[in-house]
Amino acid sequence: MKLSLSWIKDYVKIPEDMDLKKLAYDLTMSTVEVEDAEDLARRFDGMIVGVIDKVEQHPNADRLRVCKVDIGGGEIRDIVCGGINLKEGMRVAVSCPGAVVRWHGEGEPVVIKKSKLRGVESYGMICASEEIGLGDLFPAAQEAEILDLSDFDVPAGTPLADALDMNDVILEIDNKSMTNRPDLWGHYGIAREIAALYDLPLVELEPFQTDVASDFKVEIDAPDRCARYMGVEMSGVEVKPSPYKMQNRIWKAGMRPINALVDITNYVMLATGNPTHAFDADNITDHIVVRHAAEGEKLLLLNDNELTLQEDDLVITDSEGPVALAGVMGGAKDSILPKTRRVILEVANFEATGIRRTALRYETRTEASSRYEKAIDPERCDQALALSMQYFKELYPELKVTGFCDNYVKKLERAQIDVSLTWLEKRLGKSLTNEEIQGKLEKLGFVVQIDGDNMHVTAPTWRSTGDISIKDDVMEEVARMYGYDNFDATEFTTSFTGAINQKDKSLVRNIKEYLAFRCGMQEVYTYPWMSDTYVNAVLQSTEGVLKLSTPPAPDMSFIRSSLLPNLCEAVAKNERYFNDFAIFEEAQVFFDKNYVSLYDPAESLPEQRRHIGGAFASSVKNINTLFREAKGVLEHMPRYTHMEEYLFRKEEKPVWADSHVWLNLYLGDQKIGDMGLMAKKVSMECGIKNLSVMLFELDTTLLKPLRSRTNHFTHLAEYPETDYDISMLFDVNTVWHDIYDVIMGRKKASALLKDAAFVDEYRGKQIPAGKKSVTIRLTIGSDEKTLTSQEIESTAGQVMKKLEKRMNAELRTQ
Amino acid sequence: MKDKINSMLAEAKNKIHEAASENELQNMKSAYIGKQGALSLLMKEIPALSVSLRPEMGKLLNQAKNEVKELIDKKRVELKLKASEVPPDFDCSVPGILPSQGALHPITQMCYDLNDTFRSMGFEIFEEDEITSELYAFDKLNFPPNHPARESMDTYWLEGHDSGATSEKLCLRPHLTGGSVRYMQTHKPPYRFVYPGRVYRNETTDAHHERAFFQYEALIVDKDITFTSGKVMIKSILSKVFGTDVPVRMRSGFFPFVEPGFEIDMQCQVCGGKGCSVCKHVGWIEVMPGGSPHPNVLRAAGLDPDEYTGFYVNIGLDRLVMMRYGVDDVRLFHSADLRFLKQFR
Repeated sequence: MKLSLSWIKDYVKIPEDMDLKKLAYDLTMSTVEVEDAEDLARRFDGMIVGVIDKVEQHPNADRLRVCKVDIGGGEIRDIVCGGINLKEGMRVAVSCPGAVVRWHGEGEPVVIKKSKLRGVESYGMICASEEIGLGDLFPAAQEAEILDLSDFDVPAGTPLADALDMNDVILEIDNKSMTNRPDLWGHYGIAREIAALYDLPLVELEPFQTDVASDFKVEIDAPDRCARYMGVEMSGVEVKPSPYKMQNRIWKAGMRPINALVDITNYVMLATGNPTHAFDADNITDHIVVRHAAEGEKLLLLNDNELTLQEDDLVITDSEGPVALAGVMGGAKDSILPKTRRVILEVANFEATGIRRTALRYETRTEASSRYEKAIDPERCDQALALSMQYFKELYPELKVTGFCDNYVKKLERAQIDVSLTWLEKRLGKSLTNEEIQGKLEKLGFVVQIDGDNMHVTAPTWRSTGDISIKDDVMEEVARMYGYDNFDATEFTTSFTGAINQKDKSLVRNIKEYLAFRCGMQEVYTYPWMSDTYVNAVLQSTEGVLKLSTPPAPDMSFIRSSLLPNLCEAVAKNERYFNDFAIFEEAQVFFDKNYVSLYDPAESLPEQRRHIGGAFASSVKNINTLFREAKGVLEHMPRYTHMEEYLFRKEEKPVWADSHVWLNLYLGDQKIGDMGLMAKKVSMECGIKNLSVMLFELDTTLLKPLRSRTNHFTHLAEYPETDYDISMLFDVNTVWHDIYDVIMGRKKASALLKDAAFVDEYRGKQIPAGKKSVTIRLTIGSDEKTLTSQEIESTAGQVMKKLEKRMNAELRTQ
Repeated sequence: MKDKINSMLAEAKNKIHEAASENELQNMKSAYIGKQGALSLLMKEIPALSVSLRPEMGKLLNQAKNEVKELIDKKRVELKLKASEVPPDFDCSVPGILPSQGALHPITQMCYDLNDTFRSMGFEIFEEDEITSELYAFDKLNFPPNHPARESMDTYWLEGHDSGATSEKLCLRPHLTGGSVRYMQTHKPPYRFVYPGRVYRNETTDAHHERAFFQYEALIVDKDITFTSGKVMIKSILSKVFGTDVPVRMRSGFFPFVEPGFEIDMQCQVCGGKGCSVCKHVGWIEVMPGGSPHPNVLRAAGLDPDEYTGFYVNIGLDRLVMMRYGVDDVRLFHSADLRFLKQFR
């Protein structure tokens, strides 16, 4: 919302020497956020009113003229101009060198310089209204029309800001900061707040009174939605421009002046915050009725939209049907037209939430509806009507009031609140005197009665529509008037009840740090919704997957039951830039089942778990390496992150996995996740071109953190240990797990064996078909002595013999 | 002979002293004390000397030979210590090899930094599920029944669960505060916890607006808390994030679930409060809402608002990270674009 400070000053006497920066700051701290306080005249720096003395044809350009312009003090300058309405004696806006304009009202601001135009020296620029930001205040009838200021009776050389009454400060207020304050949506409301902040006198707006007696009436058939309707019927009006001062103020507040009748209604709304509306009385058949719309009823709005109404909409009607969408927008039929001579002025109060529903339903949020939906108090109608009539009478001296009614069906109850002063002091953390408290509240319009510890507060009408309703609201009023910054920060005391130990939180953090820092994976975040492409490719079924009713895009309605579809999308997106990378994500997944709530018996929430998923993608590593990297990350995770060990089993192939390369992860008998190579078909459907991708996904909810860090200390070997590599041929189907078991299992091949580790595996040339060569590193040593080479050889020999016997292995001869 | 020995010894000493390589030393060794070395050859001349001189000269010569040998050995060690294993053109300006390249998401980094700070002040870390009911997303937080945030243009409702009683209507949580009520319902006061998490709003995205973003809520509830206790919490957060003491101010603000409510601003860290384009020339930047939980919210959590009160702040982590690093598009956080994420270590 934009406010003119000079307009505010109509209602509150702000001292001339008041620091406006401080005013903006104080309002921001105590009431609403002032986003900007603009010294409006600065926009017109370097601009003056010039009088055209002579208009001559430009020697080198058909479309240009050379004007001799009086720029004050009898000084005549040449200015080249392409305007089509230039004439001698005309007053124009001249931008002198240094002024800032926008060419044709568009693009970046340009600083005017003295320059030659087609060979003729030009002092500055004669401006069109839009070039100096006044397109809305002085709309041009056609292109290249110069702003004609001949109506402004000022001498040549007058600064433009003075001539056009632009010596003003525009306060730009963040609307979001006052959604809870319906009383502030106009100049008068802010003036009242300033008066309270600085203890300045506020100008009272006198209620309108009339003794006209007629049968003019307004019926309210929907008292739940319309608390009050004031109507004034008058004749002797016509469509004409409103006075410049009114136009100027409407423009400063960010609206467009239209004509006097419409301008008065907008002006009053901008002043009081209460929307008003004028109907052409000659087009109202019989009398006005405020009622709910009939289902399916039609209404053609001012903006030419035809609505099919619902019963929930509130309409202003005459005997023929709806003439306006109450509190939102007028209808086309009864709007002000050039022929209008009689009007009915509406100053009404409509219920907030209904207005909001209607405005939203037809996507028609207007200045009026956005004010009504904040809940305006019905008492304000008096001020709005008083101000309206003041201007109607001023602009139309011939005006006659022919009818008046004030249908006030639901009086507003002022909010009554009891506040304990002890409570107030405790919550404020500061002791204020009763006089201080009372003073601050009374300035805001509250009535305060103190009786012992109890303070009985009656809120003013303009704060009684929901804004102020409990004692905490009263406390806030006292605190903000005192100034939040004037309260010292009070420290909270620490009570030592033992260290905080949240193992589950620590585990997730350990896992993330393990994957990132130790395993070189990059953490990513993706959205909870999945694109259908990846759902179809990776999950291949949407059974049990939850859906959004208004998704971000039609093909992104499913919300994830697995992290893998979005991880695959992330892999696909990164393939353009990287050929070897690993990513992971830890996030929540959702399942359409097991509805339950631990918090409220009426509530039922779907099953929600947390998963951790990862992808290792490479086009430079072979699949064997990629597989072992991924598996290594998972294999060592429990030890590094201090959780119970899980096991790899091969029970159930994940749908997205290659038919051979996959494993399931088990914690005891519970399956907790999968890993595997993304099947070629799946990666093609994901748009992945050259990368091989190893995926894994674990249910972190099922992981079990250990009670504390676990490491086992073993004494350092007293005698040297030796690594001894053996390579043997095995049947291709032999698995490492079995080989290890034969060597290191319950009956170790030799007492001197300390460990056996997989080194690598080889098939191909020199290896007979159906066989593979496995290289195994044996660690051999004794706790009692240094072994001789014969003893070492013989230990290795025992291992080989056992493998030969038990696994049909052969010593590799080559 | 004595002179010969002495001059030879002096010459050898000199040469050894100046020797620059192992090779030179080796040559010198054979030149003086090798089988054909100068000193060794002198030895052969001894028998030709008079008998009375022989013992003295023999002794002298042996001493000289020993001295040369010692000097060469000493010099050899000296050279070894001086020597390098690499050629002299070794280029030390070649960059090092990057260690393992993984990193946490910048939001996670910020979140963990804050967790550490709050844990040091005795706060617990709390997490809750992302799908919630309208009951907890709005009713319990004192949102009026017709509040605009409840509409589908603001909140993501779930298909098949988007009508009926508020306890049956399900949505992706639009903020964390409803979860805080769940915490309070299941724990005994006083409370001191932080609650990081992702929230969702149905809106059109651009560089400053996202459908999914991260919040960090901190709540403290106790019997004797004034609404200004929150300042300590706020200062702790900002000094952790920015590494210095950042001036903050609290000003009037409105949110349904707090009373009184504040907008909390911090001094613009770009201009130091003087005013610049980043802070729109006001010197302050809005960073978080805060306030005392509304009595209705405490009631919803089963507490007596006459007895308990508290302070709450809710920080937008995305915004904080953007300010910290100058990130200009909020959508990058969910892009999973490694070119972006790799910049944060």
